[in-house]
Amino acid sequence: MAIQKDRVRFNVGGKIFETTGTTLAIAGRESYFAAMFDENWDLQMNPAGEYFIDRNPDCFSILLDLLRTGELYIPPNVPEKQLYREALFYGLTDHVRSAKWGQFDGNRLQPLKSITGRAPGDGTAIRASPDGGCCVAHGSMVHIYDWMLEEHPPVNLDYQRVNDAGWVGSGDPTGLVISTCERVGRGQGGMGLFNSTTGELRYKFSVTHKGVVKSYTAGALCFNDGYNLFSSCKGRSNEYGIGVWDQNTGQQVDFFYEPPGWSLGDADKLQWLNGSNCLLVATLFPRKDNCYISLLDFRSKSTVWSWSDMWSPANSDDRRVRDAIAMEENNSICVVNEFEDLGFMDLRRESGSVRWSSRSRLMKGKMPDEPCYPKLALHEGQLFSSMNDCISVFCGSDWVLTSRLRRNFGGSICDFSIGGDRLFALHSEENVFDIWETPPSSIV
Amino acid sequence: MSSQKKRNFQMEAFKHRVVVDPKYAEKTWKILEHAIHEIYNHNASGLSFEELYRNAYNMVLHKFGEKLYSGLVSTMTVHLKEIAASVEASQGPLFLEELNRKWMENNKALQMIRDILMYMDRTYIPSTHKTPVHKLGLNLWRDNIIHTINIQTRLKDTLLEIVQKERDGEVINRGLMRNIVKMLMDLGPSVYQQDFEQPFLDVSAKFYRGESQQFIECCDCGEYLKKAEKRLNEEIDRVAHYLDVKSEEKITNVVEKEMIESQMNRLVHMENSGLVNMIVDDKYDDLGRIYNLFRRVPNGLTLIRVVMTSHIRETGKQLVIDPERVKDPAEFVQRLLEERDKHDKIINLAFNNDKAFQNALNSSFEYFINLNPRSIEFISLFVDDKLRKGLKGVTEEDVEVALDKVMMLFRYLQEKDVFEKYYKQHLAKRLLSGKSISEDAERSLILKLKTECGYQFTSKLEGMFTDMKTSQDTMQGFYESMGPMLADGPTLAVHVLTTGSWPTQSTTTCNLPPEILTVCDKFKTYYLGTHNGRRLTWQTNMGSADIKATFSRSQKHELNVSTYQMCVLMLFNNADQLSYKEIEQAVEIPAAELKRCLQSLACAKGKNVLRKEPMSKDVSEDDEFFFNENFSSKFYKVKIGTVVAQKESEPEKQETRQRVEEDRKPQIEAAIVRIMKARRVLDHNNIVAEVTKQLQSRFLPNPVVIKKRVESLIEREFLERDRDDRKLYRYLA
Repeated sequence: MAIQKDRVRFNVGGKIFETTGTTLAIAGRESYFAAMFDENWDLQMNPAGEYFIDRNPDCFSILLDLLRTGELYIPPNVPEKQLYREALFYGLTDHVRSAKWGQFDGNRLQPLKSITGRAPGDGTAIRASPDGGCCVAHGSMVHIYDWMLEEHPPVNLDYQRVNDAGWVGSGDPTGLVISTCERVGRGQGGMGLFNSTTGELRYKFSVTHKGVVKSYTAGALCFNDGYNLFSSCKGRSNEYGIGVWDQNTGQQVDFFYEPPGWSLGDADKLQWLNGSNCLLVATLFPRKDNCYISLLDFRSKSTVWSWSDMWSPANSDDRRVRDAIAMEENNSICVVNEFEDLGFMDLRRESGSVRWSSRSRLMKGKMPDEPCYPKLALHEGQLFSSMNDCISVFCGSDWVLTSRLRRNFGGSICDFSIGGDRLFALHSEENVFDIWETPPSSIV
Repeated sequence: MSSQKKRNFQMEAFKHRVVVDPKYAEKTWKILEHAIHEIYNHNASGLSFEELYRNAYNMVLHKFGEKLYSGLVSTMTVHLKEIAASVEASQGPLFLEELNRKWMENNKALQMIRDILMYMDRTYIPSTHKTPVHKLGLNLWRDNIIHTINIQTRLKDTLLEIVQKERDGEVINRGLMRNIVKMLMDLGPSVYQQDFEQPFLDVSAKFYRGESQQFIECCDCGEYLKKAEKRLNEEIDRVAHYLDVKSEEKITNVVEKEMIESQMNRLVHMENSGLVNMIVDDKYDDLGRIYNLFRRVPNGLTLIRVVMTSHIRETGKQLVIDPERVKDPAEFVQRLLEERDKHDKIINLAFNNDKAFQNALNSSFEYFINLNPRSIEFISLFVDDKLRKGLKGVTEEDVEVALDKVMMLFRYLQEKDVFEKYYKQHLAKRLLSGKSISEDAERSLILKLKTECGYQFTSKLEGMFTDMKTSQDTMQGFYESMGPMLADGPTLAVHVLTTGSWPTQSTTTCNLPPEILTVCDKFKTYYLGTHNGRRLTWQTNMGSADIKATFSRSQKHELNVSTYQMCVLMLFNNADQLSYKEIEQAVEIPAAELKRCLQSLACAKGKNVLRKEPMSKDVSEDDEFFFNENFSSKFYKVKIGTVVAQKESEPEKQETRQRVEEDRKPQIEAAIVRIMKARRVLDHNNIVAEVTKQLQSRFLPNPVVIKKRVESLIEREFLERDRDDRKLYRYLA
């Protein structure tokens, strides 16, 4: 067995490399090298005592260096894509990925690059995938990018308008759910689960009302750990509310009908709360004239908490809520208004009032011509809020502004998403999206 | 994208790269298929890993993943079918070995196939949700080999047969068994469970059901348990050697259920060898075994405990009510201690010091010790005995151990206040007669009582010690200040006893001889002179005296007598003959006491310093007494004891009892008031419960007595009844 001698000579595409078995062992069991030195193989060296591999020597050199040092250095003359391809061949993609960017920290983010899409702007949504890729929904198309930011075949939805998209998660890294508008007269629309690498439709999620399958418009999406998928649904007649499906079978398992005088089927935002086993449903301006935020308990089919600006005075800040997010650890719901003021409500009190923090009043009066409504995101104790062309990061129990992310082109940010240790921001005007990542922590 | 495509107006936006050779996929697959064949035929040495990996990579890269995967499945299936045929063909005992050999080979081949198809495993399989190569190989092995009609049952039967052989004492190939079982486990937990574990458990249950029937008929309890233990250990050993760890609990459950639980009652109550016999004969090994085995089954230990408890109660009851035993208090307590030690040792050695068993032992002792009300007195007498003489030549540690053991018994007593009464009497006698051997031992016992029952319980006992100490100082002071004036009169030693601390006796006076009286009066003057506002009463019934007497032939003796006896003897300084009446008149000692004291002076053999006429055992009022000048003794010092019953006589017992009842009244009242002060309003049942709880450490109050005390408190307006609810009492501040 060659590995015991420890010194190993490779001839890669004509170039000689010499390394040790110890270095190669770092590649791990799921790599080319582990398979190659499996004791069952009676390996043949060429007369010069080298193992031949018919691959690109430049990339091999970079990857060998990665195994030796744990650091990834890509010289300018090697295209990244080529390196990734070679890493995939040797089974070293995990090594490359973890050497390329570090664990997510909102205060240490660096812009990686900006990607210009094909569509004319007006993106609907951008969603980060768990492995560092993303998908961008425009009109009736969803463009998919993997972690190498390579574009995959887009999902074309037969020209139905896309409302939201979402990644099924770690159990199925290629599963992408897309919700679309109903197309009148054809009984189509609703939601489907697609394979993100091939773009194939795996199955559709249907809504059944009193034993009859109905066509419907699917809105905001949300997933939980129990392999359930939630979506706001708007049917023709009674099918207004929140539908629940099993991600693995595609079967509808539950439906929460919209109570009269309230809004669920039009919701902009769904958020599953693990601690309390509840679903946050928020319908916001301008989808509706009023804003409705509620927490639903599906086990008892009840609304356990709710708030609406219907009861607030006409000109108060409460009337301008544009996004909401539940923060379970703080037992509160954070809302944002059109001036990017943050407001907080206590989840433990029924229908409390919003406590506004007046941090950004200076924004008032100099609104851009075509404003994008602010959006909120929460990631491991850090709160993110987008407004116009920049994203603010808030930390700590008092939600202090700690960082701002801004690029100089693309116009206002219409959506952003965090996942796979990356942040993706989609600009509305020029159909550009930015990727931000945390640099790997330095070794020295 | 190639530039040719721009001219093509057909919308084929995502067409794959053009493969130059249309036969490319077929050719590449042939190479890989050949390699798989070679691997299965152990002919892999000529294969190039690099080439095969690259080929598989290219197939996936050029979108022939599906072809590669389905080709793999069919090629592997072909080989597995061949293997199945060869396994089926193997004869008898070679079956398992052949299966094992093929399994090992298959694992190796599967690993190599996985090596060359690693790229497919990494990219094509996850995106198409197919089964990874290794898992696929195992599934195919399961479906084509293990779950075929000809192999499935044969495999199960062979495995069970081998286990049975081992149970019958044959040596089997455990390594082979381990490999086969490991294979079943590798194929997935459900395969192991369905194809082996469940049938194994069923067969085992049947086997042990039969065996337990057989054993119970022909073995005694100890022997049966030994066999059961052996079987249990064999099964645990089996699991450790060649089964899944998770099976241990299941198979031991089977053995426990079939061998122990089902025969549990019969074993415990087995004639001549059951649990009671083991306890009686101190069979620690057997008891340990029964404990360890029964612990494994539900209610097993409860059964042992119940049987043990009733046995201890029964033997204990016989012990305490046996009229023979009651004769000798020391022996009685000694037997109790032995009984306790015996069971304590059993619990310690065989029952793992199980708390539940200790509690059972304690409650049993508590039960039977209190069956005989004299136990209390006997325990105090036992301590008295130990502290008088029993501890001579014994080290301090041994004293501690002995006292600790007595304290164990003390804890079982319900009426601890009665014990206090007795203990006080016995202690008083010890102290006043100077019979106590070691003050350290005395104090150590009092400390133990104090930790057990609190300060209140021992404060009076401690007071007695203080009195003894102060008396010494007082006497010293008396002789220092009065010494010269006393000339050569008799030496006096006075113990000044605080009223209340000491067991009270009805004060019976007697006429002391004038010599003594003078000294006593001097002391009285001295004492009252130094201590204002006190009253001294002479307890002549508790004193003693040493007097020198000269008999005929100038025989001199020192006589150690009680105060009463001294008074009588002093009369004979002036006369040689006195009648009973004369004596009684002179000394004025109560008749019963006087008779007792005369009896001991005139009738006890070897101590008869007086002579009585007529000669008889008992003293009557017409008797005449003479100075016995012919008295002689080997010793210079002669101790003339009073005839006293060591144990209490019946009327004394009654009296003690009554005093105890009297003393309890204020304690119960105090408890009631304490409780009511805190609660303000409480109903009758709760008062009784709380009072009982508070006083438990001292005695068990009788509910009737509590009721009486409540009524008395109502009379004295500490409490009142609620106007609406007559059962409620209110506290009146």
